[in-house]
Amino acid sequence: MYGWIWRHLPGNAWVKALISLVLVLAVVFVLFQYVFPWAEPLLPFNDVTVDEGMAAAR
Amino acid sequence: MTLRWIVRTFSEICVTLGTLIVLFVVYLLFWTGVRADSAMDGEIGKLHDQWAAGQVTPPDTAPEPGGSERPRRYEAGKSFAVMYIPRFGADWTKPVLESTAPDVLKRGLGHYDRTARLGEVGNFSVAGHRRTYGDPFKDFPRLRPGDAVVLSDGATWFTYRIDNRPYTTLPGDTGVIDPVPRKSGFNGPGRYLTLTTCEPEWGHSHRLIAWAHLDSTQPVAHGRPSALPG
Repeated sequence: MYGWIWRHLPGNAWVKALISLVLVLAVVFVLFQYVFPWAEPLLPFNDVTVDEGMAAAR
Repeated sequence: MTLRWIVRTFSEICVTLGTLIVLFVVYLLFWTGVRADSAMDGEIGKLHDQWAAGQVTPPDTAPEPGGSERPRRYEAGKSFAVMYIPRFGADWTKPVLESTAPDVLKRGLGHYDRTARLGEVGNFSVAGHRRTYGDPFKDFPRLRPGDAVVLSDGATWFTYRIDNRPYTTLPGDTGVIDPVPRKSGFNGPGRYLTLTTCEPEWGHSHRLIAWAHLDSTQPVAHGRPSALPG
């Protein structure tokens, strides 16, 4: 998988390393900005209130 | 498709999943705290700016169109007071916002919008995160009877005193934020305060409750109350 990506990046080893770094940062950004905020309510740390409604909550 | 290829791909997937989990833990333990701390500082800054500008009463105080004077409410999602609990540290200062919706609790403590307003007869009830999002109520179990919970709405300092050791209950037990909570030991109407957070620390099976009564008030112009250090 990673070998396949590496082989398909253009340029010499340095350029490939630079592009890889940018790709990794982009993935981390997307995770922190969109994916984790979506996944976080599925975990129990949000339930701090007393409420009948919370029975339906995660 | 060789065995070597299968083993390598499987290993890469495992490493990727592991990295993903580590990143998620970093997000929960560190990044939500960074975001919440800056959001809470921003809310407190906004409040102090408003108060400095002389706009002390919450803006949402227009009479109800129905004619009869309904109890005034704070504006949902907006901060209206600052809470200090010396037991949690001399620099423990958090904004109190109206509503207990999840996105509001990311920016500070949340006031149950059905409960009394600050200092009024009834039960001024506030929820906060124990873990993640800045850990505002991390030290909740350390609360002891007599501890001060001090709030300011820009015009008045309200000093509440804790009456019980933190009480564990079930999430559905909404009686704890009743105007006169039954299990608190209060008998008869009064000016009460309830704090709620989750229990156990990282779980959601129970809730931790602390009750307090209004001990004293003083105008902001008369300086900080004696319950506050410094």
